[in-house]
Amino acid sequence: MFIYTREAHPGENVPCHDSFERKLACAKLLREEAGIGRDILVDGLDGTVHRAYGLMPNMTWVIGRGGRVAYKANWTSAANVEAFQERFLAARAERPSRATPVMYETQQVEFRYPDRKRFAEHLLRNGPRAAAEFERAQQLWARRPAS
Amino acid sequence: MGEANRDAGAIYNYAHFDEYVANGGDTGDESAFWASPRAGQRAPDFTLLRLGDGADVALSDLWRSKPLVMEFGSFT
Repeated sequence: MFIYTREAHPGENVPCHDSFERKLACAKLLREEAGIGRDILVDGLDGTVHRAYGLMPNMTWVIGRGGRVAYKANWTSAANVEAFQERFLAARAERPSRATPVMYETQQVEFRYPDRKRFAEHLLRNGPRAAAEFERAQQLWARRPAS
Repeated sequence: MGEANRDAGAIYNYAHFDEYVANGGDTGDESAFWASPRAGQRAPDFTLLRLGDGADVALSDLWRSKPLVMEFGSFT
């Protein structure tokens, strides 16, 4: 399932949302252009759901049956989500008889290698302004002190 | 919608990404992610509109009987 949020890089062609109707129209356009076959749920104009789950532009959460958070990642890696799901489901299915499962949590760093060319194409799709503003943002990030 | 809500909505739906970064919006978003529910905690439940049929869908209905994968995103 996909939750449509605000536009991370608004531009001339795909602007920021100033009404729910515009947000709906952008979500429909994305479904058509990206060919998203999964159900798309559209967040409210003020981003209530996006705020509650942490505001990152391309994150994935897995919620276990019954409603507890099983996995959260501040960036989406389909391979990572699939690997987690396999482990998560297998651990429950392979429970030794009479054993009581004890839950623990992990926090890990992962690495990704952005496809710069593809991302640049997406920025231009949103509009030349989106590409120029991302360029300026990169300059701002370069000047930020390392944390 | 009240004035405060309108302002919050305008900040959330920023028009210029570079201004958002200059004002620290992106670092605020990272903080919001780490302040959000941890693994093992209850996921917040909301009802959203489903594109296609316009139905109201409660997240809790989707995770009631099987795990739910939720990807958040936009054009970029």
